[in-house]
Amino acid sequence: MNFRNIFRYWRTMLTVAEVTLRHQLNDSFILFAILVQPLIIAVLALFMLKDTAANAAMFVVVGSGLTGLWSSLLFISGNSINAERWQGTLESLVGVPTPFDVIVFGKNLANVVQSLLSMIVAYLLAALFFGYSLHMDQPLLFFLSLFLSVFAFISFGLVIAPIFVMYREVQQWQNAMEYPVYILAGFLFPVLLLPGWTTPISYILPPYWAAVALHGTSTASAPLEQTLFAWAMMVLLSIIFLFIASRLFKIMLYKARVDATLDVQ
Amino acid sequence: MKTLTSNLRLFWQGTVLSYVALFAWLQPVTYMASKIVMPLTQMLFFTFLGSFATGRDNAHFYVIGNAIQITAVSGIFGVTMSIGGERWSGTLVYLFGTPANRMAMFFGRAFMHIIDGTIGVVIALLWGVILFKLDLSQTNLSALALTIFVTTLSTCGLGLLMGCLSLLTANVMFVNNTVYFLLLIFSGANVNLATLPSWMQAISQVLPLTRGIASARALIAGASMQEVLPLLAQELGIGLIYGLVGYFMFQWVEVSAKRRGTLETI
Repeated sequence: MNFRNIFRYWRTMLTVAEVTLRHQLNDSFILFAILVQPLIIAVLALFMLKDTAANAAMFVVVGSGLTGLWSSLLFISGNSINAERWQGTLESLVGVPTPFDVIVFGKNLANVVQSLLSMIVAYLLAALFFGYSLHMDQPLLFFLSLFLSVFAFISFGLVIAPIFVMYREVQQWQNAMEYPVYILAGFLFPVLLLPGWTTPISYILPPYWAAVALHGTSTASAPLEQTLFAWAMMVLLSIIFLFIASRLFKIMLYKARVDATLDVQ
Repeated sequence: MKTLTSNLRLFWQGTVLSYVALFAWLQPVTYMASKIVMPLTQMLFFTFLGSFATGRDNAHFYVIGNAIQITAVSGIFGVTMSIGGERWSGTLVYLFGTPANRMAMFFGRAFMHIIDGTIGVVIALLWGVILFKLDLSQTNLSALALTIFVTTLSTCGLGLLMGCLSLLTANVMFVNNTVYFLLLIFSGANVNLATLPSWMQAISQVLPLTRGIASARALIAGASMQEVLPLLAQELGIGLIYGLVGYFMFQWVEVSAKRRGTLETI
């Protein structure tokens, strides 16, 4: 994706995001992915981790929220192009003068932002039902981390969506991709528990760096240098994934036009 | 005798055809992803989470719990697809139009998923042995096999009930997913039930899986068949109750849908 397009088409992106949010408001699957599943994981993790550390509740709130972000990215953003195809609107979207990746960026923005609800609901659950006194140690750094995390997740989603369109055999593995990222990104436990050979895989996943930054700033468990490094990695990976996404979108649209498969279900 | 033969034939044909035609995951890659890799990664996630919470020494508690809980993938999702799929594929109207025995037709929808779910649990336990060195040397394997079978049977009983819901609501995947995830808490797969509030423990006691998981843990720790038989009898009873409630609901749905003309509503 061309970076200038983010600034040139910001109003379009916001409009697409608003329409997407309105469209998805009464979709029960989305409700499940962004609210129910993270909430159940939060309850489970609160019961499991309650005796591990003083700030375990905040760790669970952030971690379960991240599971909601990833599940939403995988299942909703991953299908964002296919969803238009199923509704018969893909041809029109590709035909308008606005670059298609800008439109998908807006859709992903809506998906990721609405997924943040999972963190808010987990926070309320821990505070109201479990009676935890939740304290955020570095609120400013946390919200900056959250902003960069949203951007990193959107960029990652821009790579996943065209891959799912072009390679249906990859999409068939969608159900199996959810937990590996929960594990490799260290959403609810440190990746140090995993075998050493998995660490490089964690390092190339934006959700891992989002977890490092968000856990570190919400519980003050990480030095500032570590948070800054996580931010730098999220920016770097976002740039790389946006570049890869721009190539993938070109290939996907070219292929779809040549094969005349834009409206093929 | 002729009626019995006819019903057995109907049971078997319904069993095979509904599994082949309506189980949406029955393609090699999708089956592998949804029935083998996804359950494995789920087990890994909760085992690592449990190890982080209570120490590596307790990893087997989570391995066993999640391996048995995997039967719910077949019991809940598989059975629901085989019943609810009739509606989505437009065959419900023909199904209810036949004079076929409803009980043979209804319970036949779960049969293949009982076998499928049993195999899934065995595979998950083997992963536990390979990856987490789960020790089965003290285990009465035939009792464990019976536990897996009974637990799968009872979970399919719940699945039959959920399948009937899919004939009533378009949001059945929301309900199914929610029930599946709630079982991760209430069945005791990941939490020691004694640490839950009493109202949650009460819910656990009326769900399938709870006693199956307890029985499997006891057997792997060295308990005998006699010690777990009461648990298995209760597990079986709970599954039968869910299955029968599902069957009566299936009959009610048929009458109600015919009366309202909603057999083809999607």
